[in-house]
Amino acid sequence: MKYNKITLIAGLTVLMMSMTACDDQFLNTVPTEDVSDAVVTSSPANMMLGINGIHRSMYVRYLSCQGCVGLGALMIFSDSMGEDVVFTRTTNTWHTGIYKFEVQQNANARDNLFPWLFHYQMIRNANVIISGEDNVTGDQVAIDIAIGQALVYRAFGHLMVVQMYADRYVPGGANTQAGVPLVLTPSNDGQPRSTVAAVYQQIHDDLDEAARRLQSYNRPNKSHLDRSVALGLRARAFLAQGNYTEAASYAAQARNGYPLMSHGELLGGFNDYTIGEWMWGSHITLDQSDRFGNFGANISRNNSTIVTRTNPRAIDTRLYNQISATDVRAEWFDPTGAHTELGLPNNFSRHPYTHQKFIAVSEQDSRMDVPYMRAAEMYLIEAEAKARLNDPTAADVLFDLVSTRDPNYVRSSNTGQALIDEVMIQRRIELWGEGFRYYDLKRLAQPLDRTGANHSTQATGGLFEMQPDDDRWTFLIPQSELDANPNIDGN
Amino acid sequence: MLVGIAASVNAQNQQERTISGVVTTVVDDTPLAGVTVLVKNTTRGQITDLEGRYTIRVADGETLVFRYIGFVSIEIPIDGQTTVNVSMREDFTQLDDVIVTAFGTINREEFVGSAVQISGRQFEQRSITSATQAVEGASAGVLISPGSGQPGSSPSIRVRGIGSVSSSNAPLIVVDGSIFAGELASINPNDIETITVLKDAASTSLYGSGAANGVIMITTKSGRSLSGAAREQINVRVSQGYTSRSIPEYERVNSMQYAPLIWESYRNSLHYSGNQTLEAASTRATQDLFSLIRYNPYGVPNDQIVGIDGSLNPNARLLWEDDWQDEITQVGARSNFDMSYSGLAGNTDYFASFGYLSETGYIINSDFERYNARLNVNSMLRDWMKVGINTAVALGESNQAIDGVSSNASFVNPYRSTRLMGPIYPLFVRDPVTGERVPGTSYDAGINRPEQTGRNVVQENILNSELEKNTNMNIRTFGEFYFLDDFIFTISAAVDRRHLNVDRYRNPIIGDAAPGGDAYRTAITNTGITLSQLLNYRKSFDRHNVAVLLGHESFQFERNYMFTRRGGEVTDGNGELINYVDLLAGTSNTREYRKEGYFARVNYDLDSKYYISASIRRDASSRFSQDVRWNNFWSVGMAWRLDQEDFIRNVSWINSMKLRGSYGQVGNDSNLSHGALSFYAYQALYQLGYNNAAEAGILLSTAGNPLLQWESNDQTDIALEFELFNSRLIGTVEYYNRETADLIFDVPLPRSSGLNSYPDNIGTMFNRGIELTVGADVIRNRDLVWNLSVNASTLRNEFKKLPQDEIITGTKKLVVGRSIFDYWLRQWYGVDPADGSALFVASEDAIAANGADIRDMNGTMVTTNQNNAEFAFVGTAIPDLFGSFSSTVSYKGFTLSTLFTYQVGGKTYDSNYALIMHPGSEYGRAMSADILNRWQQPGDITNVPRLDANQSAAFSAASSRWLVDSDYVALRNVNLSYQLPRSLTTQYGVSRATVYANGENLFQNTARTGLEAAQQFNGTTQNRYTPSRVFTVGINLTL
Repeated sequence: MKYNKITLIAGLTVLMMSMTACDDQFLNTVPTEDVSDAVVTSSPANMMLGINGIHRSMYVRYLSCQGCVGLGALMIFSDSMGEDVVFTRTTNTWHTGIYKFEVQQNANARDNLFPWLFHYQMIRNANVIISGEDNVTGDQVAIDIAIGQALVYRAFGHLMVVQMYADRYVPGGANTQAGVPLVLTPSNDGQPRSTVAAVYQQIHDDLDEAARRLQSYNRPNKSHLDRSVALGLRARAFLAQGNYTEAASYAAQARNGYPLMSHGELLGGFNDYTIGEWMWGSHITLDQSDRFGNFGANISRNNSTIVTRTNPRAIDTRLYNQISATDVRAEWFDPTGAHTELGLPNNFSRHPYTHQKFIAVSEQDSRMDVPYMRAAEMYLIEAEAKARLNDPTAADVLFDLVSTRDPNYVRSSNTGQALIDEVMIQRRIELWGEGFRYYDLKRLAQPLDRTGANHSTQATGGLFEMQPDDDRWTFLIPQSELDANPNIDGN
Repeated sequence: MLVGIAASVNAQNQQERTISGVVTTVVDDTPLAGVTVLVKNTTRGQITDLEGRYTIRVADGETLVFRYIGFVSIEIPIDGQTTVNVSMREDFTQLDDVIVTAFGTINREEFVGSAVQISGRQFEQRSITSATQAVEGASAGVLISPGSGQPGSSPSIRVRGIGSVSSSNAPLIVVDGSIFAGELASINPNDIETITVLKDAASTSLYGSGAANGVIMITTKSGRSLSGAAREQINVRVSQGYTSRSIPEYERVNSMQYAPLIWESYRNSLHYSGNQTLEAASTRATQDLFSLIRYNPYGVPNDQIVGIDGSLNPNARLLWEDDWQDEITQVGARSNFDMSYSGLAGNTDYFASFGYLSETGYIINSDFERYNARLNVNSMLRDWMKVGINTAVALGESNQAIDGVSSNASFVNPYRSTRLMGPIYPLFVRDPVTGERVPGTSYDAGINRPEQTGRNVVQENILNSELEKNTNMNIRTFGEFYFLDDFIFTISAAVDRRHLNVDRYRNPIIGDAAPGGDAYRTAITNTGITLSQLLNYRKSFDRHNVAVLLGHESFQFERNYMFTRRGGEVTDGNGELINYVDLLAGTSNTREYRKEGYFARVNYDLDSKYYISASIRRDASSRFSQDVRWNNFWSVGMAWRLDQEDFIRNVSWINSMKLRGSYGQVGNDSNLSHGALSFYAYQALYQLGYNNAAEAGILLSTAGNPLLQWESNDQTDIALEFELFNSRLIGTVEYYNRETADLIFDVPLPRSSGLNSYPDNIGTMFNRGIELTVGADVIRNRDLVWNLSVNASTLRNEFKKLPQDEIITGTKKLVVGRSIFDYWLRQWYGVDPADGSALFVASEDAIAANGADIRDMNGTMVTTNQNNAEFAFVGTAIPDLFGSFSSTVSYKGFTLSTLFTYQVGGKTYDSNYALIMHPGSEYGRAMSADILNRWQQPGDITNVPRLDANQSAAFSAASSRWLVDSDYVALRNVNLSYQLPRSLTTQYGVSRATVYANGENLFQNTARTGLEAAQQFNGTTQNRYTPSRVFTVGINLTL
């Protein structure tokens, strides 16, 4: 009896032990939301998963902040640091700190950190793919497409942070001032700041290599980066460097094959990246949309958010007054603020000179395709560069663009500074709201001047003027970077 | 086990004889059955029969001890009596004799560890919804952050400080011996026999993994009490009550005060921050005021609301003043019905219960409804085999108010939005001339209202809904096999499953989902499975008692999540997904966590005097990579029962005294908390779901760390336990030191690396404290007993090692030599009497630069520019002393008990208050009544800067100005009960009937009205649903 019992118990024990799986397999769990990091460089197709991830990262939310959704938010950052885009009310929280220049010199501010982490995350993801070339095997064409796009992203990321977090590139100077870290491998180790000159050199190297790899790439849609985008970014970089010869040359090459927008397209809400003139943009599907964070949730006139209802952006009245009455772009703005054709609901505040350039899908759907690069910008780069080089064909380039906007436009007879000024006015009108003004003021060492227009004391916090030598033009390197990177010095 | 019933006859020198008597209750002299009558220091004992009678053999000079669970023990020296009748009195504070500990129970006097056990009796009259609410104030060394006012919420608990930085700090919850993966609020508090808080390594180390933050063991009732006595009874409990707000609102200015303040703010912005003369600025302020506030309830023309002298128009009379909070709050109701029966049937004991609870919160659309059933059955099937099954089912439905923590700054947060609403704004659409409500309209959408433009938080909270449906099933089963006399083999299995379905609806009329409306469905299924095998051996050799335990345990947890959201409502008010046009989100995932451990424990005692307990556990967690996932945890505990030594045994005023100590190492892998530390922490991962329109995409998400391993916690504990003066004074003095080495740390990476952090074992931190628990029967006589109990704890938390010199997180900075919750903020200096500017102590760099913002205030260099302020350590959120005190007065059948909790020291960063202290820059936003003390003219000495709309960044900047003392005393519970005379109740078949009135969260006395001190362990405040005050009256019947 006793031994039977012991046998029974022993049997049960063995049974129980076998049920509880004592081997290590039991403890090896794998996530269902993620894949191992080794996957991304295991094949050319998986490299494209990584590239599409970066494309997507252009319109997702960072730092849990509604005002920090990808590159669209940074476009708003840029225009909020200029005079052309006017905040009509003070009540919203997003981007007002930027508009008042309160956060640029606060190394702990969220809005100070966001551009930095956004672009360096882009660079890290690009570096994983670039460095994956050593291991991956397969179709070289597919590999080139992935790595070429990764190189464009790496260059773009560096170009953005060097403009924001370093002192301006001084045209013709040595530019040995400390810039930003150049990050060229996927690593957790902090890099020191490279010189501004070195950063620009790397940007050109990357874009040059990218253009080579993307030579014959025929992209499926404009969220992908092709050779024209690489060339366009080189034009931007050269413009920032004041290298006008190269800027003009690359701008002309980049826009090759892109038609300018028709009047209908210009007035269609600026929300369709299939329009011929668009060179690069994001297209957001409904399930990938950030209802309150999308570019359209912050900038469109018709979507209903606290920002668009209470703080719709207006154009600086001085700039508006420079738009010819026959210019189709005048219709981007409503001096009365009524926007009768939009049929805005009652709970949208009305303010004079608000825009209707950007229109989202609907009142409740804030999506719009986000424009990152258009052929018009390339015309303007070329025209500006040539004007600054005293090249008389500058007026022709300008005419080619502006005559498509204003039927009554006649080729400018201006020369010298007057022509430069005319190009800059056209640039500000054409690219209003697309995120260029800050970079323009900074690269040209021009002051901020919001006086004599419709900027209000409350919204600006009294900040109407700022000289080119003001520290606030440069973002402080975030404190979290300084704390965790032993190799970096603050700026 | 404890009650040695068998009477063994020992050779005695004295003459033994038989004495007898009757044991009754003090309250009504009715007989008490089942009382243990023991001859002290012998194994001779008896149990009273149904009439309370006993007979026992005893000799003169010996002492009879009468013991009954829930009653105060009585000792009677025998000196010639032949009849000893005693009358016993109920005790609400007596310590249980048996402690529930890891994988078993142990007699209190044998226990070498540190634990506090709360008996279900102690909270059976309280209106507790979630069991862990009973822990508040019950144990020294345990910090509590009360649950919110949302009915069904549970408090957060920290046992002996904050042990970790980046992994979980919450204690492990164990129900009936197995890790609990269900919902705490699904357990009916009336099903609970005991809640045991295990605090030191000796008591927790058998839960090695995940024991570092303490363990809370919940043991449910059975047909026998813990000490083994049968519990044959039927209980019926009914209570009714109501809920209301317990923490008052911050004091704010009223409508008559409001407009002049905005006027002044605007005027000052034109004058001080602009360049206008005071006269011109005043004139313009009078003209422009209406354009700033946009509503005029004053019944005077818009340009005459405030005169150029800054005072309200004397003809002003209020056309309206709507109270937004009044509209969103209510008096909630609470109803509870519980019924249980338990007892023995042959070789089976059983406990069965049914419970129903319904509670509505004091915020509209918040409630909790729960149905519980439980059946716990244990059967001695053979003389060598015992089996048991505990099954519990709980079905719950709960309408959730907006969770103020996760939506702290959202417009739809009712606590924040009503707090910030300026007093002049109408809740309803009102005629601007008459102030009357406009017929045919309802809530004001506030199109022109500067605060919360286009929103109406009251309307939104009425129209929106979020319904949680919970299904909880908890099964615990075991088989015990007795063999070779001294061995017991136990196999057990436990399964917890929780289904949580959340139906969320947002209206298309106003708010975030307007004009389309949207609906969400969330489905979460959590499953926890524990399998364990235990081998127990127990033997006494002469004076040596040995108990050995060997065991194996595996645990697996799975969380399955599904979420769908659609927008574009088709027909009004239907929240089913089919009623929507657009698919906005659809996703699901499954997360798994597993662990496994082998363990052993040896308990040995010599002569019931010297005790030693040693345990070891080898554990693995799926959070760590294969090479490093196994680790060993262990502990040694010792106790010395001084009362068993002759030199104390003869001291008449010492009833018991025990010195104990333990040392051990336990681990932390963050347990079931994926949020604190990912279940896949060691793996470097790309996240799915980064598709680019229709193209598949992934993005780098975590760096991982294959070397990441257990956080280990070295715990030392030394204590003296004593019972003195005929057990009138009971207490424990205890010291602990918890040192966390290999802190799991989200080590910050340079952001330029493209990742935020990676997990690593870097850093060392300790928590030390002294805990004192004393309870005394101040008065103890036949009819009147007054017991006072106090517990007090100190806590010192400090880093000894960190991954980088300093880590700034929010309002805190982590450095070696300071605590995890030390504030690092701009140093507020005060207000310049000359112009009312906010002044901060200036940084050295700023002083050197000597810009226009630098001022010399009596030798202190200060700045008006917050960006040039000096940061400094300005206090900590950690209290110096905290604990509770309670009183129980019992007179005849009446019992009045009160429980206070308190905290001394520590500071709160009151960001809620800061929001209503804006310098008039937020037009339309409410203002604190403290704004009335603002600087107004040169020479004013005050701590509130001038109102100035252009100075929000400087005057409102985060600084030590917003710190306030956290000291508080809170009256958590008052209970008055009356036990009806048995002579009255027995005729209805009721052996015991108690009626009572109970109140929870009656008040909290804090440094500032409106402040909820100790809301969060880190000292910050959020706009949350503050705890409810609950009043109930009820009756408990035992048949």
